[in-house]
Amino acid sequence: MLRRALPPPALIGLVVVIIAATLPLRVSGYVLGLLTIAYYFGVFSMAWDLLFGFANEVNFGPSFLIGLGAYTAGILDNLYQPPIALCIAAGVLAAMLGGLVLALPALRVRGPYFGLTTLVAVLILQNFVVVAAGLTGGEIGLTVPDVISIDDKVNYWIALGFMAVSAAILYGLTRSPVGLILQASGQDPVQAGALGFNVTKHKLAAFLVSAFFSGLAGALMVFYLGTASVGTFVDVTVGVQVIIGAVLGGRRTILGAVLGAVFLVALGESLRPLGDLATFIVSAVALIVVLFFPAGLLGMVKGAREAT
Amino acid sequence: MAPYKTAAARSAAFRAALGVGAAALALAIAEPASAADQAPIKIGVIAEAQSVAGSSIPQAAQIAADEINAKGGVDGRKIEIVSYDNHSSSAESVRAFQRAVSEDHVNAVIASYISEVVLALEPWSARLKTVMITPGAASDVITQNIAKDYAHNKYIFHGYLTSSALAGQVCAAAKDMLVDGLKMKTAVIMSEDAAWTTPLDAGYEACLPKVGLKVLDHIRFSPDTTDFTPIFNKIEGLKPDVIITGISHVGTQPTVQWKSQQVPIPMFGISSQATNSTFWKDTNGATEGVLFQAVSGPGVAVTPKTLPFVDAFSKKFGNQPSYCGYTAYDDVYMIADAVKRAGSLDSDKLVDAMEKTDYVGTIGRVEFLPKGDPHVHGLKTGPGFITGLMLQWQDGKQVNMWPAALANGKLEFPSFVKIATGK
Amino acid sequence: MLFWQILIDGFAISSLYALGATGFTLIFGVTGVLNLSHGAIMVAAAVAAWAASGNLGAGAYVGAVLGIVVALLLALATYYLIVRRLQLSRAVREEEKEIFILTATLLWGIMIQEAIAYLYTNNAKTVLPIVDGVVTMLGVRTPKNEIFTALVCWATIGGLWLFVNRTLAGKAVLAASMNPRGVTLLGIELSTVYVGVWAIYGALAGIAGVLLGMFLGVSSYSAGPLTASAFSIVVLGGLGSVSGSLIAAYVVGYLETLTAYLVSPAYRAIPALLLLVAVLYVRPRGLMGRR
Repeated sequence: MLRRALPPPALIGLVVVIIAATLPLRVSGYVLGLLTIAYYFGVFSMAWDLLFGFANEVNFGPSFLIGLGAYTAGILDNLYQPPIALCIAAGVLAAMLGGLVLALPALRVRGPYFGLTTLVAVLILQNFVVVAAGLTGGEIGLTVPDVISIDDKVNYWIALGFMAVSAAILYGLTRSPVGLILQASGQDPVQAGALGFNVTKHKLAAFLVSAFFSGLAGALMVFYLGTASVGTFVDVTVGVQVIIGAVLGGRRTILGAVLGAVFLVALGESLRPLGDLATFIVSAVALIVVLFFPAGLLGMVKGAREAT
Repeated sequence: MAPYKTAAARSAAFRAALGVGAAALALAIAEPASAADQAPIKIGVIAEAQSVAGSSIPQAAQIAADEINAKGGVDGRKIEIVSYDNHSSSAESVRAFQRAVSEDHVNAVIASYISEVVLALEPWSARLKTVMITPGAASDVITQNIAKDYAHNKYIFHGYLTSSALAGQVCAAAKDMLVDGLKMKTAVIMSEDAAWTTPLDAGYEACLPKVGLKVLDHIRFSPDTTDFTPIFNKIEGLKPDVIITGISHVGTQPTVQWKSQQVPIPMFGISSQATNSTFWKDTNGATEGVLFQAVSGPGVAVTPKTLPFVDAFSKKFGNQPSYCGYTAYDDVYMIADAVKRAGSLDSDKLVDAMEKTDYVGTIGRVEFLPKGDPHVHGLKTGPGFITGLMLQWQDGKQVNMWPAALANGKLEFPSFVKIATGK
Repeated sequence: MLFWQILIDGFAISSLYALGATGFTLIFGVTGVLNLSHGAIMVAAAVAAWAASGNLGAGAYVGAVLGIVVALLLALATYYLIVRRLQLSRAVREEEKEIFILTATLLWGIMIQEAIAYLYTNNAKTVLPIVDGVVTMLGVRTPKNEIFTALVCWATIGGLWLFVNRTLAGKAVLAASMNPRGVTLLGIELSTVYVGVWAIYGALAGIAGVLLGMFLGVSSYSAGPLTASAFSIVVLGGLGSVSGSLIAAYVVGYLETLTAYLVSPAYRAIPALLLLVAVLYVRPRGLMGRR
């Protein structure tokens, strides 16, 4: 009965979330911390997959939206110490505004220009953060006076819950009529337009949804870490990590993005003993995946199932 | 044979040891406790391992730990260094700190030489109630935060000179060397825009006029500047007798460009990278004639412990330690000493013991400023405590110029530098 | 006096930007690839030159040549290992190839950058200059190295122009950028053209990297900003247009120099970025872009 209400991937996802929720009782605070970060990155990657996998818009600067959300929330808290919820709301709003500003020129251009526009946005934000160091803490970072909680378990459950809800919403969105229109607009905008759907409006909506989740996750992560820095939220390498997570997990699956994000974090962590070489190796592994397994984990599973 | 074992390796080794220890414990319980506790004292070291200055921190800490352990440890307990590379990022430092305390259960942390990193870690040291000491950061805000909320922030100790103390030392040296010695009258301050230079520059602007140098201008540039041509041209246009520097994040590039443009004005002040023994090679010798403040110098026996430490470090790692290597080495000894005096690893007791520190290290005599002082838990400076040195790069070597009692050379400038005497 | 200062300094830095951007746009124009490991290759060239000339004591000339060779090898590696592999891949849809190549070259750039930091620390390095000393022109004291830099940049660009317009091989490259299919109909092996272009690109990036190392110095952190600067200039000038990139390089170079001198060195990068934003909003294909 449940199987008819929920498609198989969602069912598996639900089981995984339930198991994940029991982890705090069995693993150390440190592993929980890692997974907390991984879940936030999972949301970043899912938001990216919505845009790329469905609207077929390659956002090369997801860290622009993430950074806007994170820094707005952080700076606001630093300056006026309003309630955390207010800071987070401000962060989300800023990210959505950023998404709007980005979408306007981006949707007008084709091909490589779109990717470049998104990449330029990241550079501008990065430069702004560094130049306005008095406000933003510059290159080395910003410390916020409040955190949501210092308890590993609480932070973990918040992240897990947030990720699960986001996944449900995003996944549901892609399977809804709106999602199908989005997919059509992405794959064949001319035909979709001919069928009477407003392609631009749907893509803009996708941008805003992506911005919403990116900004929200970014703001939440700032109040988990207690700091924000260019290297954690804005840098191009953050964007690359988000994209790789989605690609690793499988484009166009939404849920795969979480798998990819968790895998990347686990990989980075297991290589920690190598110190300086760790980033090198993670990049190399990601490169190998991009070159040799572009369909990603869930993508390969989906392909196998569709083939039978 | 790694110079210092990393977190994961230590954890694995520790868990294995725990298994064996558990069995041994069962037997030991029946016997009267002779050596009360054999578990090691763990000191976490969070540092910028990829930077020339930061890499000395874990290395020097390991030398100190090895020396202490060779002499039997602290009441029979060994010191274990658990090391974390923070990639010069506050966020990574925070995660490292959380990991160190909750996963690796360190008893104290030695953290970084970057002020922004230490400032990001202060709230976590307070939240997780873990003693933390910085061997190299300079911002005054570090100790100001402790003074503002002593009850929460008392776990933090500032194991290096504050920016205002550094400014004071530069001014003292400037008075002897530049004003009295070379009859200079004017200066331009050139510093990078960073947390540590805000109090430094304020200090400069206050003390330079007092020693006889008029400040013509004060130029702050972004730490990721690569082209210093406009900056040097601007300074030259003002025609000062000397450039008083406050740079740490940059070093190679402004120094090389100073030489290639043949800026006729000498540089004097704080240039952290110039303290590294590799700086001559990094700049292809362009640093000839640059004067820089340091707490240590080659061949300068600030205390009887200085040169033996340098020897031990050079033998093991093949190069001289950076400035924060000296202080990291001392920090390990001071923590060990505090543990011994406290007789416990409880953080609050450790804080009390650390506050009573009176230790002659490699850079001078260390005592911390007491509760009630605006720079509480900072280092005591001045004659008898920490005075600092002023060194000059000459022909591939760092030669000490000041204080006169510890000098081992005379001032020499490259031919393009015009020393205007008595304008 | 200030005017001549700005003119001369701006010229030197713009020439360096122009050389870097030329290589970047050449690759895009002919092969359609935006190589995001561009900055990393330049830094690798500079660090190799530093290591050879300073560290190992081989002297300035040998160091410079070695740096260029390293860049050449890295560029060819980028082509064979990454670009070619993805272009021929059947697992990736045509429309997606661009983003995969972008991502892959970015990752490759990160790998190079991290390898440099691992081997030589992230400290800034300067390459032993071939030319030393200063010369006073128009009342401005200028390091001879600056003039050397500008001369070499222009000699290289001039050489490239001669190659493309006067030699058969060069004309094949030009043709390939306009009509790849047409080139194959003439019996010219397209893949040979590509290898040639990547090799030329490697040399250009190598020369630019070594000159930058001698003039200002580099560190492993420079890789990202160098790539960003190159493609900002290329977008401004118009993707695929070499003359557009040259003009844009001078616009950006002088904007930065003027800002640094007249406003403040801290804000040097801002006007160029704002210009880029304006261009993207108003005329996305840049000054002289064709696609």
